Amino acid sequence: MTPTQSLLVVIFAPLLSAVIIAFFCRQRHGLAAAISVTAAGAIFVFGLLAILATGTDVVHASSAWLHFGDFEVNKGFLFDDVAKTMLIMVAFVGFLIHIFSLGYMADDPARGRYFGGLSIFMFSMLGIVLADNLVMIFVFWELVGFSSYMLIGHYLNSDEAAAASKKAFIVNRIGDLGFLVGIVYAYWHFGTTNLSEMGGYVAGNPDLVKISIAALLMCGFIGKSAQFPLHVWLPDAMAGPTPVSALIHAATMVAAGVYFLIRIDFLFPQEVLTLIAWLGASVAVYAGFCAYGQNDIKKILAYSTLSQLGYMAAAFGLGFPGVALFHLITHAFFKALLFLSAGSVIHGCHHEQDIFKMGGLLKKMPITAITFLIGTLALCGVYGLSGFFSKDAILIAGGLSNTPIFYLLTLGAFMTAGYMGRLFWIAFLGQPKSEDASHAKESPLTMLVPLIVLAVLSVAGGWMGYWPDFLGGLIKDNLDHLHHMDHYDAMHKKVLIFGSAAWIVGLVVSFFFYGAGAKEDRLEKKAAPIYGFLRSRLWFDEVYNFYVEKIQQRFALLLNFIDVFVIKGIFVRGSAGIVGLVGMCSRSLHDGNLHTYVYWFLAGLILLWAVASGLL
Amino acid sequence: MGNLETTSLFLLVAILAPIFTGLVLLCGSRFSVNSMRALSVFGFGLPLVIGIMLYGLFDPSLAGEYNFELRLPTGLESIGIYLHLGLNGISMPLFLLAGMVGLAAGLYAMNSKAERLHLYLALLLFMLGGLMGTFASIDVFFFYFFHEFALIPTFLMIGIWGGAGRRVAAIEMTIYLTLGALLSLLGLIALYVQSGVDSFSLLELRNYLSAQALTETVQNNIFALLLFGFGILVSLFPFHSWAPKGYAVAPTGAAMLHAGVLKKFGLYGLLQIAAPLLPSGAEHWFSWIVWLALGNIILIGLVTMAQKDLKMMLGYSSVMHMGYAFLGIACFSVVGVGGALLMMVAHGLSVALLFMLSTCVYHRSQTFDLSSMGGLATKAPVLAGFFVAATMASIGLPGFGNFWGEFTIFVALAETDMTKWIVAPAAIGIVISAIYGLRAVSNIFFGQAKESFKERLESGQITDLQPFEKLPACILIGGLLLTGIFPRIISDDANRELAVLYPQEQSNLPIIESVILPAEADAPKEVTH
Amino acid sequence: MTVGLNAFILLAGLLFAIGMFGVILRKNTLVIYMSLELMLNGVILALVAFSRYNGTMDGNLFVFFIITVAAAEVALGLAIIVALFRLRQSVMVDQLTSLSR
Repeated sequence: MTPTQSLLVVIFAPLLSAVIIAFFCRQRHGLAAAISVTAAGAIFVFGLLAILATGTDVVHASSAWLHFGDFEVNKGFLFDDVAKTMLIMVAFVGFLIHIFSLGYMADDPARGRYFGGLSIFMFSMLGIVLADNLVMIFVFWELVGFSSYMLIGHYLNSDEAAAASKKAFIVNRIGDLGFLVGIVYAYWHFGTTNLSEMGGYVAGNPDLVKISIAALLMCGFIGKSAQFPLHVWLPDAMAGPTPVSALIHAATMVAAGVYFLIRIDFLFPQEVLTLIAWLGASVAVYAGFCAYGQNDIKKILAYSTLSQLGYMAAAFGLGFPGVALFHLITHAFFKALLFLSAGSVIHGCHHEQDIFKMGGLLKKMPITAITFLIGTLALCGVYGLSGFFSKDAILIAGGLSNTPIFYLLTLGAFMTAGYMGRLFWIAFLGQPKSEDASHAKESPLTMLVPLIVLAVLSVAGGWMGYWPDFLGGLIKDNLDHLHHMDHYDAMHKKVLIFGSAAWIVGLVVSFFFYGAGAKEDRLEKKAAPIYGFLRSRLWFDEVYNFYVEKIQQRFALLLNFIDVFVIKGIFVRGSAGIVGLVGMCSRSLHDGNLHTYVYWFLAGLILLWAVASGLL
Repeated sequence: MGNLETTSLFLLVAILAPIFTGLVLLCGSRFSVNSMRALSVFGFGLPLVIGIMLYGLFDPSLAGEYNFELRLPTGLESIGIYLHLGLNGISMPLFLLAGMVGLAAGLYAMNSKAERLHLYLALLLFMLGGLMGTFASIDVFFFYFFHEFALIPTFLMIGIWGGAGRRVAAIEMTIYLTLGALLSLLGLIALYVQSGVDSFSLLELRNYLSAQALTETVQNNIFALLLFGFGILVSLFPFHSWAPKGYAVAPTGAAMLHAGVLKKFGLYGLLQIAAPLLPSGAEHWFSWIVWLALGNIILIGLVTMAQKDLKMMLGYSSVMHMGYAFLGIACFSVVGVGGALLMMVAHGLSVALLFMLSTCVYHRSQTFDLSSMGGLATKAPVLAGFFVAATMASIGLPGFGNFWGEFTIFVALAETDMTKWIVAPAAIGIVISAIYGLRAVSNIFFGQAKESFKERLESGQITDLQPFEKLPACILIGGLLLTGIFPRIISDDANRELAVLYPQEQSNLPIIESVILPAEADAPKEVTH
Repeated sequence: MTVGLNAFILLAGLLFAIGMFGVILRKNTLVIYMSLELMLNGVILALVAFSRYNGTMDGNLFVFFIITVAAAEVALGLAIIVALFRLRQSVMVDQLTSLSR
């Protein structure tokens, strides 16, 4: 089997699974789950086969998709080092989350639809990973958005889920608007949207890079990776089932924005890169603050995801796409782990999501709690765990090239440790604070195995030395480059100190401030205005809602009024009215009375005479 | 060439079969429902079968000419009118579209509970026959004739089977569309007279006018007649008022065929006749088309957002999407017109599907009011699935044909510096359409049911999609997916044809020198080793 | 003694005027009809007088035509009026206004 064939299997297995489920297994839930999990397994196996068969070679394969005049779109694979790394992560994490879903969704009455949605998602995500041109990326980009829409809205009866899914899709569309325009301009600028061809052109002539195109393409990233100002959809998206949050809204889809940037990094001029770096760093801090105002375990993790995406963006903006990819991969491991553990907790606590109603889970659900702790530590960047290496690299990159961003990111790391500590201490220590929490039981094996595997990866995922040669080439290059920069050693020490201080201080302070197994938020008690401010998340949602309801909708209603009353009422009905009026007037002359006609006749005669005799 | 003649006759059969079936049904008010259905399946299905067969036999090497040509005398030879039929790369997809939507509309209609079903089906069949004829005509006279032939049943159907307010809507639509048709007829006659070629055959007109073009003033005036005449038929802003209300009250079958196919007549006329024959006219009116089309996309898009009635919303949304097609034609390039063609086909399928599904929703909710539904997905998941798919198609999700249409049009707009700025405002439409589309889906299907609807929802009367509703929906969705996944089934033939109609002197693609392709980029390294 | 042309013209004008006012003011169709005949007669008289005065036959020729046409008109018109009366039981013009509808 050639690598291309393996890749075709990789991408079409989940599509096939989705189609089969949609047509035949809507009521046969068990079968649907089996098919979907098999497809996810097949992705992993065949992905691995393709990678092993190619080694460090790059696979290009493409064929025409659409052709009009000068406009040509191809569908094809660009299976290079970055794509391989991403593929193996997506396939592996995806597979684990499929397995986890078997347990988590066991009681759901619409499991068939759920697994079909997961398969559609895997299909579209792999499309992004493998695509070799911008148009194809966009196609799968939108499909990913659609599957996210479907899965967020999985709980059909919930108004919250309905609103969240709609919001996610529309906010993403706003980002895609810029993306789309960017692709279109890029096509006529380069004459192609093929990634490697564009890369070749830019390498040959760096002047080809244009700020406008890069900025427009960046909009796609901002939407999908939920960066400022389009970040509002991600916390709401937690209305979906927890494994979906883990897979789509933490590990893979939102990271696709960063992946996309890495794929087209040659298109970015310095100005746009700096913008992205600042954007990322500020989101990293902003989301950290927001997390303190949340009590829902999933929402805290969602803001943590936002913040980590900010780190990736910052790394990319600083000129280290490989480091961004590194953090993307390690983040996928520990964030998937955190979300799945949270899912296990939620499952154990009968769908209780408020951390102040949990407590004491360390004893009730030891494995879940320990894996969660490992995830927390990895996220905080504890020495030796995966998160440490990637975050460390980002901080060093910041310290060496942009000091303000370095301090922002360090502040972000401190915030991260703080809110993660708050979450862990309150939810897992102390005594159960609700009926549901006191009856919590450890989850079944289908849920625990993925947790354990992910915990191992969260620990070991960052040990680059053990990565096989054909994976993470870009990461190694970038790290290598970083290591050989001036002042690397001094900065390394500094980051080690700052980074370790951040997580130690964050965890310890949060422990003493909130207290183990606290019943209520002490910040809320002691400093209600600050808590209220954090909870308000800078009023983005309020402003957007105001805009949508009060401005946009009213404007639409006004236009509707104009359409109905001016165009339809005055112009269309008006012209009909004028014709009717003329008809009515001339009709009133014909009253049927003979004498009237005679008078008109006379009047006409007089008029004629007057004209003939020259009086008129 | 005996084979050619047989296939040409099939073209005639595709037009006459529905009409004759319609005539038979018209006489047979005593037929049993089943025999009526069997007959109409024949009438509705045959055109599509023939269309698919002809698509298989289509010879792409004849670009610039027509496949399956057939020329029959009509008694009007003295003024150059023949029943001249044939298909080219542009009309072939539309011919198939008409067959597809016709079959779907027919299948849905024959199971509807309309009174005087035989009359209803007969009128639909007449309409279908007219549509097949319109797209198969090379003769401009018959092109117009068949359109009117299809239009008249629409008025009748709205007047007889329409919903509340049908009389006003039917009269408004009739007057408006007749005005549009008359303007375009004037334009076509002016073209005939001014060219002086004494033939209504599009081929002869084209050959003659490409050799000696009309003067600029004449071109401008004739193009204006055609643009605004056809524009009214396609609901170009601000001549769209007939459309939303007209579609809202029209019976489902008529709305499907009119919004899906008949409306495309105007665009087809513009891109097959008006623009290629009157290039400088098209150039002269360029900025008018662009501004009015942007009016369609943005203003009507926002108006769509304000709609509270499902059918009105669909009507406005179909007006909005026509703006893209106009923009594509305004580009006057292979890419733009190709995009418009893709858009026409995909929009035809998706809007027909949406009109059909909205009626399915109505049968379950007894209301079109978006604010008084909710939660229908739990009772009718399959309906919800189809509706979501149709909405996604109409808002341009990749995987459905509409995406390629919109995307290609955007690409075409960005081709020259003159039109580059239009991409951004036009692309706002994709956000607007997502907003109203998803809002409707969410209001109908998701979340908790509204109080007024709850009782009905819980009553157990609500069933999921029935087989007779599924079948037409599957046909249309299938078409959408096919064009979305394999757009080349349309684009390849159309591309050849458009290259003839819209010749381009030079490519707008950049010529990038000093190219280092990845393979070459590696090469110098090896040398240094 | 010869009567001057003016007298004829005057008489003709008077006859015409009487007829015209009859047409304008009277409501009975029959009377209107008679008034029309009066107008015709006024015209005939004027034509005969002019003919005599000019010594040509043109006017007389016209008169024959008019008389013939008037005779035909009477035959037809009276028939219509009778039919109308049978239908409507009235020949008053202010009651015969169905054209307005």
